[in-house]
Amino acid sequence: MPLYLPIAELSMNIILVIGMGGLVGFLSGMFGVGGGFLMTPLLIFAGVPPTVAVATEANQITAASVSGALAHYRRQGVDIKMGAVLIVGGAIGSFFGAQLFAFLRTLGQVDLMISLAYVVFLGSVGGLMFWESVRAILRARSNTPVKVNRGDRHASWVHKLPLKMRFRKSRLYISALLPLAIGMVVGVLAAIMGVGGGFIMVPAMIYVLGMPTNVVVGTSLFQIIFVTSLTTVFHSVNTQTVDILLALLLLIGAVIGAQVGVRVGLKLKGEQLRALLALMVLAVCVKMAFGLIIEPDDLFTVQEVTQ
Amino acid sequence: MRLRTMMGFLSAFMGAVILVAIPAAAQVTDLSERKIEIRYSFEGADLILFGTTGKLNITGPYDVVVVVRGPDVPSVVRKKDRKFGIWMNDAAMVFPSAPGYYAVAATKQLNQIAGHDELEKYGIGFENLVLELDQDSTRKSVDPAKLTAFKQALYRGRAREELYRQGQDGVHVVGEGLFRTNIHIPANVPVGDFKVNAFIFQDGQMVGQTDVPMVVSKEGFERAVYDYAHQSPFLYGLTAVFIALSAGWLAGIVGLKKN
Repeated sequence: MPLYLPIAELSMNIILVIGMGGLVGFLSGMFGVGGGFLMTPLLIFAGVPPTVAVATEANQITAASVSGALAHYRRQGVDIKMGAVLIVGGAIGSFFGAQLFAFLRTLGQVDLMISLAYVVFLGSVGGLMFWESVRAILRARSNTPVKVNRGDRHASWVHKLPLKMRFRKSRLYISALLPLAIGMVVGVLAAIMGVGGGFIMVPAMIYVLGMPTNVVVGTSLFQIIFVTSLTTVFHSVNTQTVDILLALLLLIGAVIGAQVGVRVGLKLKGEQLRALLALMVLAVCVKMAFGLIIEPDDLFTVQEVTQ
Repeated sequence: MRLRTMMGFLSAFMGAVILVAIPAAAQVTDLSERKIEIRYSFEGADLILFGTTGKLNITGPYDVVVVVRGPDVPSVVRKKDRKFGIWMNDAAMVFPSAPGYYAVAATKQLNQIAGHDELEKYGIGFENLVLELDQDSTRKSVDPAKLTAFKQALYRGRAREELYRQGQDGVHVVGEGLFRTNIHIPANVPVGDFKVNAFIFQDGQMVGQTDVPMVVSKEGFERAVYDYAHQSPFLYGLTAVFIALSAGWLAGIVGLKKN
């Protein structure tokens, strides 16, 4: 069944769009990532103009994150205080990321920057995560006792940072500058890559902040709601590239998918979940890298000039 | 859609037949639809153009060329180059008056119908189309080979999106000075004013032309959304966020009941 999308200005099959939303929503609920790093390339591949894909995707991630975050909140899996600090950082980061995006757009290098960002961030995060989770799985198999390091989860420099705050839910007493900085990095990525940033926030929360895994996914989703809402308004005002109809169809699929995803995710072990996510992140990274290295069929590209 | 096109064609065809019967009638062309409305079910449109040579008093063989040109869409063509082992955009050329839609149909190949100068005069054929360049790169300062390469790239890029087409559609001479052709409008067509020109050529010279206007516009819900997004972008953004938040919350409630 075809449907004409008023902002994307093309006709797409409704079932296909809802299906794509459902698939990404499922992964979003399962892994606690917004799923933007899959959805944005998927939309572009389906023929949606890249600017519309990035902006509309932000809007769709909001919906998927709300239903996911609610599910985690009911299971006591959201650290609101930590989330608030991350949001402040995210707002600052997305503001500067948007400036960078606009600047590179005038130079015609936005596509390159998006690809490079995908390759660098997805490659390093995915690689580290995969290595770590495989080691954890092997350790579990061979019954080697895990080195429990309850005494101190942080490097010594972390304790020297000022502005210490107590995060009860995460059972942490650390400097607020740390989550603030993580929030900022994620905010920049949200603006320039059309992603929620969960793929970098989740590992950062685990390995840098040392948050317990049971609050990581929920808190990450909680932060993503706010940052993607901001991004949606920002893109609407600047480029009018948010397609409400496309977003609505995607989120119908996504909210259903996310509910299923949360349940499936709870049945899997943490390290299995991380290994799966890492593999997916690496697959997208490799796909992007090929696009940069292999000579394109047509060296020329045509784009509408936007003011 | 199909039925309407057919009905339109039939009624117009009958009109054309009557026009042929009147000896004094001038060259006439018309379209099966002059206004294309983009609504939620829009998948593109197929129009039929038909016409008569009328009182041009043409004896002997003649050729017909139909050119459909959409609104200008300022476009930039970029060329990728290999740097540091990766392919990145390097040289670029801006065409401020590139048509957003451009289709040519003819009774035979353009170069067999008329010479380059005659075709260029009327903007027939993409290779004969004079495209402005932006003020930074005036025509003199640009290497002609580079201009040709970028212009061809513009054609290729748009042709991939079905927005430019040439050399694929024929104009059929039905007989008695009556001709017709099909015009395909894809779903990603830009909105705005279109010009449909039908040229009659004989012995390499243009002997008659008509100009039929056509409009592509968004209507109904599609138009309302588009206007809202462009006229009150801030409220539009808030609406989008509100919809997303409520949809997510609603799904969360439904999910709770299932537990």
